[in-house]
Amino acid sequence: MIGDMITIVHDYWLLLLIGQYPNGPLGGLANTIILSALAIAFAFPVSILMALARLSKWRALRWPVTGLVYVTRGVPLLMLILWAYFLIPLWTGADVPSFMIMLVTLVFYQGAFLSEVVRAGIVALGAGQMDAARALGHSYLGAMRFIILPQALYNMIPSMISTFVATIKDTTLGYVINVPDLTFAASQVNNQLLTQPFQVFLILAIVYYAICWSLTYLANTIERRIAKRRAGVVSRPQHAVMTQAKIITEQP
Amino acid sequence: MTVPSTDKTIRISNVCKSYGDYEVLKNVDAEVARGEVVVICGPSGSGKSTLIRTVNRLEEISSGSITLDGQDIHAATKTSELNLLRSRVGFVFQSFNLFPHLSVLENVTISPIRVKGVAPNVARDKALTLLERVGLSDKAGAYPGQLSGGQQQRVAIARALAMEPPVMLFDEPTSALDPEMVGEVLSVMKGLAAEGMTMLCVTHEMGFAREVADRIWFIDAGQILEKATPEEFFNTPRHPRAQRFLADLRH
Amino acid sequence: MSGFDLSAILSNPEYVGMLVHGLQMTFIIFFGSWSLAMTLALILLCIRFSPFRFGDRIVAAYVSYHRNVPTLVQLMLWYFGIFTLLPSGLSGWLIDHNAEAIFAIVGLGLCQAAYFSEDLRSGLRSVNPGQMEAAKALGHGYLSSMRFIIMPQGARNALPPLINHSVSLFKNSSLALVIGASELTHAVKEIENLSFQTFEIYLVGTVLYLVISLLIMAVGAYLSMRLDPAWRARA
Repeated sequence: MIGDMITIVHDYWLLLLIGQYPNGPLGGLANTIILSALAIAFAFPVSILMALARLSKWRALRWPVTGLVYVTRGVPLLMLILWAYFLIPLWTGADVPSFMIMLVTLVFYQGAFLSEVVRAGIVALGAGQMDAARALGHSYLGAMRFIILPQALYNMIPSMISTFVATIKDTTLGYVINVPDLTFAASQVNNQLLTQPFQVFLILAIVYYAICWSLTYLANTIERRIAKRRAGVVSRPQHAVMTQAKIITEQP
Repeated sequence: MTVPSTDKTIRISNVCKSYGDYEVLKNVDAEVARGEVVVICGPSGSGKSTLIRTVNRLEEISSGSITLDGQDIHAATKTSELNLLRSRVGFVFQSFNLFPHLSVLENVTISPIRVKGVAPNVARDKALTLLERVGLSDKAGAYPGQLSGGQQQRVAIARALAMEPPVMLFDEPTSALDPEMVGEVLSVMKGLAAEGMTMLCVTHEMGFAREVADRIWFIDAGQILEKATPEEFFNTPRHPRAQRFLADLRH
Repeated sequence: MSGFDLSAILSNPEYVGMLVHGLQMTFIIFFGSWSLAMTLALILLCIRFSPFRFGDRIVAAYVSYHRNVPTLVQLMLWYFGIFTLLPSGLSGWLIDHNAEAIFAIVGLGLCQAAYFSEDLRSGLRSVNPGQMEAAKALGHGYLSSMRFIIMPQGARNALPPLINHSVSLFKNSSLALVIGASELTHAVKEIENLSFQTFEIYLVGTVLYLVISLLIMAVGAYLSMRLDPAWRARA
């Protein structure tokens, strides 16, 4: 069994790592990482904008965005991918590669989940911070930019990393629209071998496990360091709220 | 204050406790007679809370013995034995520790019913009597979250009394209360003392000590430095650290 | 593209039948895996707190695997992988009895059990340690304290994350599509292929998922309220 798996990895490691490249688009593990990294990179500013919209005074801004976030939380990611697969080529009129469709969907999806964390983080700081900033003469946006967000976002770093882990796991759903990622590569290997599906998918599971576990470990280490620095500087209730926010945004 | 009999209810013999290298209690030797009210006082960090928590074995000791009516609570090896001994010692916490998911009445009745096997209607009647005694019979159906600190602490006292313990321990019962609520709790405690309850209290309330205590133990750095009657202690303290403590209090 | 025409879907009995069948399958998968997950989570909790030396580590390893491997990959491992390792008698029986749904229930149930057990565990841990002390001081033994004082509070604390993860489990039922189960999303895609009214059928599917997710959250909120001591005091 183990011998089989080692043979498979030995024979197919290149396919699993970079897909069909250069005979096709970049795929495999490399594509998974790139897709996840880009998704989280874009989801980050999107989440901040969504959080600010949800906290704003204007109902015209608050309600649609809040509604959008609730819809995202209530609908399976698979359904959202199908929507994007249908709508995006329709709106752009072009032949959009599945990578892009997956990227846009993930940015929107993770952005919505992250916006909850940002919003909770800002709320947890308390009104006192904004009051103090305004009293000193800062505008609302200026206060956000220099006072509120730096604090809220620093506390968000562990959540960001765990969202990155969730994104890596979510990229596997690209399978249904043939995104050339690691899962797709593994199924290609399986289709070639046909006789050892268990070994192939076990390898797949192990690779994802290794990546996600390491990132989660990193997130926990950073969180411990942040907690140590925060102890005694900011009031305690924040930690409980951050924990709750993580639970809300955590995605199996 | 009744005249204490010579029967020693609590006997603390040569108790030591260390956390690693740090000695929290050093050779503590003391006794509480039946019906006696003893107040433990001292600066913070002196070990007074730790000492009272060793009496019902919420804290372990490194050496020595603590006996309640002759039975050593720290020698009990079977949990059933330990639970039985604990149920005979009432304990009132600084942070009340009422059970938030149960009503006031249920808080008072659950332990007699589940630990001592008292019939529910008997427990209920007893509970209502006790709540009446602490002045909260109208709150029987309320939940701890709806009560003030002083009210919660009085319920906690009723809860401890429901087990009919011969001894009551108080660990800074009023320290977590707003000043205006301290009085209501102290008056319940004074009532208990007047009825002849054996009480061991850790407290900063010197007025209470002066009025109600039979003896005062002054503890600092893990050792009982002075055991005296209130008159002796407040007027002519012997140990220099006790003198300093009282001087600090007056400011 | 023809104008927006919802009735073409909703008044067509064949399509409605497919939707209903898909919904049924989704519910079977959801309730089946939820029950499995909750039962297993309680067992895992007992193992964790048992005196068995390696209990803690076994449960931690179980949770770690199911949280770090993507759910889809877990399902694939079960259906494409483990299925082939089963003895022929068992796999024959499974094929006759809707193997896709069974593997979906098993895969999702085992995965979600990890999350539920962690929610229960953190619910228990967040109970104020003073509660255990108060229970001990009153003479309650370990079991008595757990049963009447700690567990009731722990369960209340665990309710919000449990509800969130239940909604996640419901949404994850759509992953069964990939291993061939004919649940709701599968039905939606089938209807799309037949009717070409993509927008309308996607909308119907989305609304169905949304409504049921909100229903689950509402049930959870109701339970939360019922268990809340302050509410009970009103009565």
